[in-house]
Amino acid sequence: MSILPGLGLSAPLAAPPPAQHQSSRVQELQAEAEWRFEVAFGASVKVKLLHGTAELFGTELAPKVTYTFAGTKAAIFTWHGCALEITGECESEYAAEETPMLMYLNVHAALDNMRKGSPTREGPRVLVVGKENAGKTSLVKLLTAYALKSGSRPTVLNLDPREGVLSIPGTLTCTTFASMLDIEDGWGSSPISGPTALPVKTPLVYHFPLESPEEDPKMFKPVATRMALAATSRLEEDPEAKEAGFIIDTPASVSSARGGYENIQHIVSEFSVNQILVLGSERLYNDLTRRFASAPSSKPADEAVNVVRLDVSGGCVERDRAFMKQVREAQIRAYFFGDVRNTLSPSTQVWDFEQLRILRVVDPTAALNPSFLPGDHSSTASSSLPIFESTLPSLQLQNQLLATKHADPADSHPAIRDATVMGFVYVADVDEAKKKVRLLAPSSARVEGRVVVGGSWPEGVGDLVA
Amino acid sequence: MSSALPSAEVALDFKESLQDLQMNNRYEISNLTIIAKENTEHAQAISRVLENHIRTAPPPRKLPALYVLDSIVKNVGTPYTVYLGRNLYSTFMDAYTLVDGQTRKNMEGMLKTWKEPVPGSMDARPVFQPEITRAIENALIKARTAAVHQQQQARTQRQPFALPPRPVASPATPWQNTSTPPQNSSRYAPPPIPDTYQAQYGYRSQQALSQQPAAQYLPRPNSTSTYSNTAYGQVPSPGRDLDMLNDDVARLILAAKTEFAASPYEIGVQQRLKALLDLQTILKGQTLSPESLAAIKAQVAQLSVALQQPPATAAPVVHSTPQPWQPPTPVAQVYQPPPPVSQPHQPPSNLQAPISFPPDILAQLLASASNGQVSTPVPQPALPARPSITLVSESTPTPVPALANGGSSLLDSLRAAGLLPATPEPAAAAPAPAPAPSTHPILPPYLPPQSQNHLQTIGTPPVRHAGLAPPGLAEMRMKISMTSAALKIPRRHIVALLYEAQPNQCTSCGRRFLATSEGREQKARHLDWHFRINQRIADSVNRGHNRSWYVDEMEWIRSRDPDESTMDPNASNDGHNKSAPAERKGPEDQYIPVPTEAALANVNCPICQENFEAVWHDEAQEWVWMDAVKVGGRIYHATCHAEVSNAGGGLVAGRVTPDSTLGKRKAEDELNDLRARLKKDVTAY
Repeated sequence: MSILPGLGLSAPLAAPPPAQHQSSRVQELQAEAEWRFEVAFGASVKVKLLHGTAELFGTELAPKVTYTFAGTKAAIFTWHGCALEITGECESEYAAEETPMLMYLNVHAALDNMRKGSPTREGPRVLVVGKENAGKTSLVKLLTAYALKSGSRPTVLNLDPREGVLSIPGTLTCTTFASMLDIEDGWGSSPISGPTALPVKTPLVYHFPLESPEEDPKMFKPVATRMALAATSRLEEDPEAKEAGFIIDTPASVSSARGGYENIQHIVSEFSVNQILVLGSERLYNDLTRRFASAPSSKPADEAVNVVRLDVSGGCVERDRAFMKQVREAQIRAYFFGDVRNTLSPSTQVWDFEQLRILRVVDPTAALNPSFLPGDHSSTASSSLPIFESTLPSLQLQNQLLATKHADPADSHPAIRDATVMGFVYVADVDEAKKKVRLLAPSSARVEGRVVVGGSWPEGVGDLVA
Repeated sequence: MSSALPSAEVALDFKESLQDLQMNNRYEISNLTIIAKENTEHAQAISRVLENHIRTAPPPRKLPALYVLDSIVKNVGTPYTVYLGRNLYSTFMDAYTLVDGQTRKNMEGMLKTWKEPVPGSMDARPVFQPEITRAIENALIKARTAAVHQQQQARTQRQPFALPPRPVASPATPWQNTSTPPQNSSRYAPPPIPDTYQAQYGYRSQQALSQQPAAQYLPRPNSTSTYSNTAYGQVPSPGRDLDMLNDDVARLILAAKTEFAASPYEIGVQQRLKALLDLQTILKGQTLSPESLAAIKAQVAQLSVALQQPPATAAPVVHSTPQPWQPPTPVAQVYQPPPPVSQPHQPPSNLQAPISFPPDILAQLLASASNGQVSTPVPQPALPARPSITLVSESTPTPVPALANGGSSLLDSLRAAGLLPATPEPAAAAPAPAPAPSTHPILPPYLPPQSQNHLQTIGTPPVRHAGLAPPGLAEMRMKISMTSAALKIPRRHIVALLYEAQPNQCTSCGRRFLATSEGREQKARHLDWHFRINQRIADSVNRGHNRSWYVDEMEWIRSRDPDESTMDPNASNDGHNKSAPAERKGPEDQYIPVPTEAALANVNCPICQENFEAVWHDEAQEWVWMDAVKVGGRIYHATCHAEVSNAGGGLVAGRVTPDSTLGKRKAEDELNDLRARLKKDVTAY
């Protein structure tokens, strides 16, 4: 959340040469100010809180603990004033005193009141929408962290396939948070086989192998419906989660007026959203107010949808495509290899072509459906057009990510589409001559007999297994 | 696994010897030390027994037990220092809160020696790691500064209610002569009254007499404000009122019972419990006039507030239960003064000093209190039938005149039991401000009555201090609506909910905890968890880990993501003898921790040749192989093993429960069934 005019527009510098002198400096911050900084991929910046209090998107920094940041654009805010010791070079950094934090704090307090004051013990279901780079995810993080601090366990739903939450891009996840977020790693870690310094979070992962819900609403809607069903069931079973409610993050694309907010409408009705937070855009605010909040008389009070507009932080900065690509690569890398603190060892598996039946999402933009119908699966598909086509491994698949699903190969296409993800494998190498394919899998467990689905998103990662 | 039984035996032995330890007997203590020394392989069990003993022993016996701990860590050292060090904070502080002044001095002396190397030892390291002792020291310092703080706040707010409101630990309060046991205090009353206390109180009484004549009949709005908020703010129906009251009384009874269980011989506790039970009967059996109902309610509310403060042993139930019409505990803390940085009167006192304040501080305190009372009488909503809401100076040992007017016999009996403050809290707290905070070492300036006071000030000119402008909880709860305009109003006091209200911060991850005993317990468990997890990380650093598969829908919906970092690992399992309880379960419920040896990590079941599936076990807090059992060094599926050994398959005679596979199937079927149902639900769309 840091900005230097113009800087965000240029292509990110290649990893700058490692700083020769690791001199540290002290950054003093007044109360209610924040230090916005950008760290390139490949560089690293260490931050230590010397005195005072400080928080990163709501999660408090422990005093005298060194945090290492790499490949991030973030801001450290202080309510009481603080001094930070900073080691390493930032791409850009500055202290800012104008923040919308007091407003966001009020939002938290209002939500907290709804959680704790609800006679039905039913928490607010919050949807965060806004344009590109309005700070949606940061706000979701902030509200999640504050809710955790207040003793609630919010369920966070990420509907943005461009960036994963506790998973890789190309997924939609729901997670009930019970333990604090990770300062360095954004959200934390999904379960691994070993111990972790912070409690792991358990995400429920759906596959959405397209960049944006708008690309194929026909695919997005049923998956969102399925997600809503699971998330709502969870809330019914778990009173604590129910009291805390939902916080839903969305991609900017659903907020564009072009699609007539069809996807927002769908999300609102499926997740029974009752609070919409609009970041920035006046027009979006007005459109949504008209659509959801204008006719209160027709609905009972408890179903009313409240729309409110929030200020955008001045620290919000454009994250260009190249940066986002690096973010995605880092997420995919971390899925298989972990991070500095928890190194993971994925396993390499070699398969014959015949052993691996891959379903690829049919490109929805293709006017015609040129694919041959897969003999095994077409008959049960309920929709007129098949959702997937069955393919053999090919060089096209190299460097792609495939999702292994909690589904049976005999299931219908819609069932497979809506099934949750068990894990991802990465196609490291395809040898068309020998008809062998080398896969990188998180663990040595074989994916034999599982449904393996590929799509066009996220884009392939070239050098994962160099 | 095989050590489980001897370990339990040794622990039991040790426990029995401990229970015989009545006094500071050198022979017995060294005997216990020798037992500990000879059984270092059972150190964990012994440490746990010792901790439990210190926690549960009646106050007079705590010190000898602590001497045992001291002797063991000094004469035996590791591994006891590790095991005992983990919970040392709570072991020490919990005991500290309950013992008398002399014992505290002894404990402080002991703590001091823990910071130093063992005398005569070659090892230059301190007995316990500095982090551990420092935490305790900090807590003690905090307790003192908190006391000073309350004074300071008393001055800044210029209100009489800023006196430390907490019921006092000392029996030497003058009004005890009135045969009115002080509420909440009898529990802490140590049998011997140190001379210093008496001298102190003597001095204080003089001060009070000379300086506080004006304070005597000042109305005391604390409980009133609580009531008025309820009555006029939310306008609950009388029936609901009564219900809430009943709930509160029930909760108080529960708390009193807990207290009674902890110290059954304290007359004050007995009386209080009895009075509460009587009150409950009356509430249920009779129709009360609105006035007396209101009066009772106010008193109960006040008592609840008072009860939210006692230390860990009191009643966690109460701590965790916000009262329906009152701010939940954390909220009440909003109004805490800023962290104890600016202390004009007294620098944090050194640890060696016994916890007490020099008389001049007391004099200042009283002076400030009386000033406040004279200059700023706080308006009090008119409530005719509130008999006992009258501030009585400590110098007036007799019950208040006002008591006479409306007090029913019920109220009288409550009062006799110390339930209704015949002498209201501020007065009660004033006599001995020093010991009061020391009973709540890490509860710095936690002043519920004041908070209530702030509540009241919503309607009156708000009291502002130290940059915190608390417009009051009620406003926060009611007025923040989700509109752009409302959200633009700065409400900086909310920050305190996220920070100051949770002053108890973990130094390694930054997480904060409430300053209640529950919060302290949570933090202790949390630190414990850090310790365990760091050890496990260190242990497993060379072992290849991998990302686990994501869960499926059914599993996710059922999972609870407990916050493992604050869960009580002992609640379900002792950690060191997991297999013992597993034996009594069906084979499919048996599990073993995923072995750390690389060679074992990929073994198959010798019977079915299938491998084991690692799953996260919520109760055990680690990765385990379910349905697994280790027999004679090999790992089997428990069900396979049971089956084979049932059939006399010649394997090591096993712990067998029949019908095992059936159970397994059944569970799977059930799950599949659920999956199918879920699927059906979805396809219905």
